[in-house]
This record gives sequence, structure tokens and C-alpha cells, in this order.
Amino acid sequence: MNKKNYLDIINNSKKPFIIYKKDKGFDLFTDFSNKIILNNQNIRKFLKRKYKLKKKYKKTDLLIGFFGYELLNNLIGIKIPRQKNINFPKGIFYKPEKKINLKENLIYNFKSTQKIDSNFKINIDQKSYTKIFDKFKKKIKSGETYQIKICTKYKNKSQIDPLDFFCRLTKTNLAPESFIIKDKNYSIISCSPENLINKKGSHISTKPIAGTLRKTKKINKRKALNFFRKNLKETKEHNMIVDMERNDLSRICIPGSVKLKKEKSVEEYKDLYHYVSLISGKLRKKVENIDIVKAMMPGGSVIGCPKISTLNLLNNQEKENRNIYTGSFGYLKFNGDMRFNIIIRSILNYKNISEISVASGVVIDSNAKHEFNENFIKAKALIDLYK
Amino acid sequence: MIYVIDHKDSFTHNVVHQLSLFDNVECDNFGDIDKSKLNKASTIVFSPGPGSPKNYPLTSKIYKKFKGKKRILGVCLGFQQILFSEGAEIVQQNKIYHGFQSEVLVNKSSKLFKVGSKFKVGRYHSLKLKEPFKAENFDITMRCVISGAAMSFENNIDKIYGFQFHPESFLTVNGKLLIKKILSA
Repeated sequence: MNKKNYLDIINNSKKPFIIYKKDKGFDLFTDFSNKIILNNQNIRKFLKRKYKLKKKYKKTDLLIGFFGYELLNNLIGIKIPRQKNINFPKGIFYKPEKKINLKENLIYNFKSTQKIDSNFKINIDQKSYTKIFDKFKKKIKSGETYQIKICTKYKNKSQIDPLDFFCRLTKTNLAPESFIIKDKNYSIISCSPENLINKKGSHISTKPIAGTLRKTKKINKRKALNFFRKNLKETKEHNMIVDMERNDLSRICIPGSVKLKKEKSVEEYKDLYHYVSLISGKLRKKVENIDIVKAMMPGGSVIGCPKISTLNLLNNQEKENRNIYTGSFGYLKFNGDMRFNIIIRSILNYKNISEISVASGVVIDSNAKHEFNENFIKAKALIDLYK
Repeated sequence: MIYVIDHKDSFTHNVVHQLSLFDNVECDNFGDIDKSKLNKASTIVFSPGPGSPKNYPLTSKIYKKFKGKKRILGVCLGFQQILFSEGAEIVQQNKIYHGFQSEVLVNKSSKLFKVGSKFKVGRYHSLKLKEPFKAENFDITMRCVISGAAMSFENNIDKIYGFQFHPESFLTVNGKLLIKKILSA
């Protein structure tokens, strides 16, 4: 079904819904019969839940939602110190009873009233950013981390129509892992480009991004590839992520089955080029959902490397809860398949506050000013929606 | 059986997978060592990891206990850990190699590898062995072609080996072969 005005109908119905990008077009999930709010106590049970084997599964035999950053840390035994917190749920999953295919071109004639402020406040200014940056550089020199991503947060008080924002975002930035969740008391709008887990049967793959180049008229895809190949800093950062993702897959895959399927290719988006690799493997028997989530999340490319000591460094530094940022959104199907992204390039709207988090990497040869600006460039595509 | 001691690194399971091609492998965290596995193992492997050897006194203790009794291999931090336990100083380098591919040369003190051969390896280290370094029966057998930094050692008497680079990295051209030779030495 793809009625032209379906999005108007669903939005006016006030029913919660989720839209998730797929190969061609989008899936819309709604009519939720169950909503599971996750916390540090029930997450294990949630992930260990077994589903009855069936001959035929319905298209809605799945749970769709997100794991926040804190939940994923807790799952692998990393405690987060006390932080400023807006008390947003640590994770939420929904059981849909209805799934609708939507075409690539989303049509929505919004009628909701919006009160939009275009000013954003940043939580770390360039001076404090540089301080953190220098501290982490020392940690790199002493070998405690090899690469670490500093997160900055942009905040704004607005009353927005999330679906309007999402539809506009898909026009300017049609990302392969984009999604929207609209529930009664919050919404998430995302143009995430990064797939973390794609599992079908015993086959699993991950597609890390490390390396971003802004598009200009002078650069085409071939030139972008050349830029990445010649740029030693980007190459080293990317190499590290490839080895780390190979490692994470190796925790759950049959020895010898983990393969680098696509090494360092360039993907083209509306405003930028990404440097991407594809790694896949064959899962060991008896590996459960919880093992997969614990091995792969939080996704390494947005954290740094090695994962555990870098997470500890980050958590001790950051004063504010990351909420959804660098968590994962996606679905667990009852037949065992799953797909999850990394929540980046996203807006969280909760209590009329919009929150956009971004991060860029510190490696030994990065420059504080450059990375600070890089953070702004990443946030800009989302901030521009408020104009 | 090979027992891998993990220093909470994000590359340890690449090492485990590479070793699994040749033997059964068990892997535990350095703070969670299983004594019966340790005693049963024919080879002990010290994994890569963050920080410096002085952060892991338990690993040094295991090394000293099993030196000469079992085959021991160290990768990256593990390489430094063994040398540190042998009295070496591990120091910060001026240039830091994280995710770096460089060429190494096998020198004439190697008994396991073809003397004079050169190949590409993946490196992830900010620290290095301070030289000159001397310990009985230990020879530096590979060096970085450009900087001359120590990249591998052999102690063929006690069957103790180490790589400063990562044989399990996709950046290392013939890592599998290196591991095979060590395990059959």
C-alpha cells in the first residue's frame, strides 16, 4: 500500500509509528501491541528471549526499537559515572502489528503547528574541546588508546513536527540507515549512514565507516578514493576500525570465516563521501542474540580503539549522558535475523528539547581545530532543518 | 591447547582466530586466569593491549613461571611484556604507529624465518623497546626497514617468541605463515 496521503493519515491519527529505510524505499511500522522499556535489569532477559520456531513468519514478527549508549556499556560490564541526565529511557522496543511499504519519495503535507528556534547551544566550546583533545592525545602517546572520539552536543528548545523534519531530511540526505521513531512523548529523527549488524541466518556482516570528505564540484567519486588512499591519517584510522570490527565478529564467528569483503571503498551521499569497508562472517552454532549484541555494540567506529579502555576514558570525561547517541536502532526478527545501525547524525526530541550529538576522532596526527569544525559540519545538516 | 591471555584489547580475537587454524584455543582476561587451562596449555600467548607492560604484573608473573617450560608468544604489548620481564626498558617513540603498514626485514640472527626477506606488516604501538637490549638467548630478528625499530625476537632455546607488529592484522601480508612457523618450532 502506498496511498499518497498515508503519512498525513498516520500523523493525524496520533498513533506512534516508526519508519526505517530499506534498499528501495522505506518500511513503516505501526499499530504497536507491545512496548518494552529497557533498563539495566531487564536487558539480559530481553536479549535471551527465545521465539517459537515457525514454518512461516509474518512480516510483523519482529521487535523494533533502540538500545541507548548507557545500556550497551552496562551490558559489557562498563559502568558510567554519575552524569547530567534528562532521564530519557535507556532503550525502547515495539511489537508492530502493521507494516507498510513506502516509496523513496515521501509525501507529507504537514499541518501541525511548530515553534522553531534556529539557535543552538553547544555544550563544549572550542577552548574546552581543545583541552580534552590534548588530554586524549597524551593518552594516545602512552598507549592507553589508539583512537578516541570526542562527543559534543547541540541543544535547542523547539516544538517541531518530527515527520516534517524527517521527510525534509530524506530529501537532502537519503542515508541507508535513516529512521524516525515518533511516539507520544518523544521522537528520534536520524540520517545514519552506518550499518552495524546485518544478520540473515548464520551470515552476519558489518559495514564500518571511517573517513568523511565533504563534496565539492571539483571532487568526483574517483578523486575521493584517491584522496582517502593518499591521506595517511584517514588510512590509519580506517585500518584500525577494520581490524577492530574483524575482531568483534571473530568473537561470535567460526574461525577462518571472517572476511574483509570490500576493502576501503567510497560511497557517495548528497553532501559527502564516506570511506567504507564491508566485513562478514559465519556465526558459530549456539551463538545467541545477546552474544551478538555484546560482541558488536556499542559500534567501534564511533567510539575508538581498543574499545574497553577507550570507553572508560570517554565515560570519565563526559559530563552529560549520551542518551541514544552511539547506541543502535534496528530490529530483531522472531526467525533470528536482525539489522541494526549506529545512531549517529540524529535528533532526539524529548520534553520540547532537541538534542544533536556529534563526534570526531582523535588520532595521533589530528588537529583540535579541524576536528572541532568537523563536528560542526556533521551537525550542520541537522541544524539546517531548523531554519 | 593454546591459552591466550587477553589484555582487554580490540584485536585479541583476531589473534585467537588465527591461532585456531592450528590448534584448540582458550582465551581469558588477564585478571581472570584459569590455572588448570594455564597448566594444560602447550603454548601461552600474551595478547596485544592498551597501556604499558608495567600495568600488567600478573602477566609478567605467568611469564616468569612458565619460561622454559612452555612455548610462549607475545604480540605487540605481549612482545613488550616479555622483554620487560627480561629487564628491558619500554619507552615512548617519537613517531607513533597506529594502523600503520610498514616493511620489516628478517636479519641473520633468525633461525625460523628466511634471512633477508622483507614483507609488509600492520603496526599498532606507541611504545617500543629501548636499545641496546641484551638478555641471554634473546635475539632481535626483525626490524622496521625505515626506522630500525625492533619488530620481532626469537629465543629458540626456551621457545619464546614475540612480534611488535600484529601478525593477525589484515595489514600483515603473511601473518598465518609466521604463526604456523612459531607453533611448529
